[in-house]
Amino acid sequence: MTYQTFNRNEFNALEQPMFFGENVNVSRYDVQKYGIFEQLIEKQLSFFWRPEEVDLSNDRSDFSNLPEHEKHIFVSNLKYQTLLDSVQGRSPNVALLPIVSLPELETWIETWSFSETIHSRSYTHIIRNIVPNPGEIFDDIMHNEHIIARAESVTRYYDDLIEGVNNYNNFGVGTHSINGQEVVVDLRELKKKLYLTVASVNILEAIRFYVSFACSFAFAERAKMEGNAKVIKLIARDEALHLTSTQHMMQIFAQGKDDPEMAEIAQECEQEVIQMFTDAAQQEKDWADYLFKEGSMIGLNKEILCQYVEYITNQRMQAVNLPAPFTVKSNPLPWMDAWLVSDNVQVAPQESEISSYLVGAIDAEVDTEEFGEFSL
Amino acid sequence: MPTNKTDTHKNSDFQLDNRAQKPFFELESEPVALLSLESLAMDSLSFDSAAFEQQEFFIPLGNAEQPEETPQIELDGMAKPAHAVAVHNINGDEASRAVVQFQHANNLLESLEAQDVYVPYQCREGYCGSCRTQLVSGEVAYLQEPMAWINNDEILPCCCVPKTDLQLKLKG
Repeated sequence: MTYQTFNRNEFNALEQPMFFGENVNVSRYDVQKYGIFEQLIEKQLSFFWRPEEVDLSNDRSDFSNLPEHEKHIFVSNLKYQTLLDSVQGRSPNVALLPIVSLPELETWIETWSFSETIHSRSYTHIIRNIVPNPGEIFDDIMHNEHIIARAESVTRYYDDLIEGVNNYNNFGVGTHSINGQEVVVDLRELKKKLYLTVASVNILEAIRFYVSFACSFAFAERAKMEGNAKVIKLIARDEALHLTSTQHMMQIFAQGKDDPEMAEIAQECEQEVIQMFTDAAQQEKDWADYLFKEGSMIGLNKEILCQYVEYITNQRMQAVNLPAPFTVKSNPLPWMDAWLVSDNVQVAPQESEISSYLVGAIDAEVDTEEFGEFSL
Repeated sequence: MPTNKTDTHKNSDFQLDNRAQKPFFELESEPVALLSLESLAMDSLSFDSAAFEQQEFFIPLGNAEQPEETPQIELDGMAKPAHAVAVHNINGDEASRAVVQFQHANNLLESLEAQDVYVPYQCREGYCGSCRTQLVSGEVAYLQEPMAWINNDEILPCCCVPKTDLQLKLKG
């Protein structure tokens, strides 16, 4: 089962499952099994933005005027976001591209990962603008035990799947002796790893990111670090698309029309996925503890952030047809909704710094009278 | 902002503490049948229909949702169809409900918000799925194809308008 960059087999792409079918050969989008991924690509492309479009000159003075404990909250949150996007900028490509079997899904994964690299670049843009020595912040990501603990839970399932897929591609299904160790490659086991990976990515995009967004927007609610909030707003708009895509994948798996075995696995893993969601919620709460260890900020403290973790976890679990584990009913941070609206991301340049432009909006209506002065 | 030099307001206009403020528009009690609320079979939610009918419903007859320049359906001067929307489980409380009217708003979400029914939202363009709501009965038309995953009995209020009277149940 060696990976082929251009599969010579002839097959009907519409009859392939999403993953673990034939390797994709022709990147064709004239016929599609799941049109939704094409729609997601279109939407993601229309969202294109560059970090440099957002002016952060006011953030530098805002940041230097923040009290120490708020600096800690801001910088730690930024480090966490940097970690998450470092993972997301490469892992979907490395883990999912070797096993994907549909051209539109393959292209969506590439488009998705690419947009995460823009997010990574935007964190450098932010950090460069607020501190004289960005290196200190980046270096600490690898040394800070709290961040490293987060990395472990975020990457575990990815690494597990990547290792399994490597063995599958190199040796195929069966029992193999690799470096003196016996390794069993079983396709069903691999599919299970895939399902858990997609679930863990959904948790990353749908819960972990949103908790960090809440911190970013809490500053902007007080008219502090507004440039940063503008960048985060653009990132949040992208993340909403990404989490929609992983929700679709999970639901398509669960329905079983794509790959009947996947539906069995989805049922089998339900308890495990519920546990993953609640574990992630607990990890986010522990993180909140670290964030606010030196004191809370106006508008946000450990308790409120923990309530928000529970609220968003409920929402996201219901979205993939899992029972909501927490009792919190209403959004403890109602202003989050307004920050996450996508249509007011676009602003007139005279109203504020240019943050995003919809490129290519052309008035296609031409009245015949416009040609009145033409003569041949 | 230019200030109006010939300000005709008297001080008394602002003394709200002493007298009841005049409502902006009068709400009239409507016979329930007029808005075909009868047709909303509430039985499926173990709804006490006798208590429901005795209650007075205050449904604004005018433009509750403040019509904008681009209404959702252009009918060449004809009155836009009004649909009654019964919403259950507001405030996460199984028994709580509200009845609102949809007529002028651009989409169902705007209409609900204008009439003080809170639905969580995010993108307002149909791709994030935050406003997913259970449709108990009725039919909606989508203004744009929803991209978020929705189950068969669910709708995204941010990008649809009612085609008939609706019964919705908000997420807990």
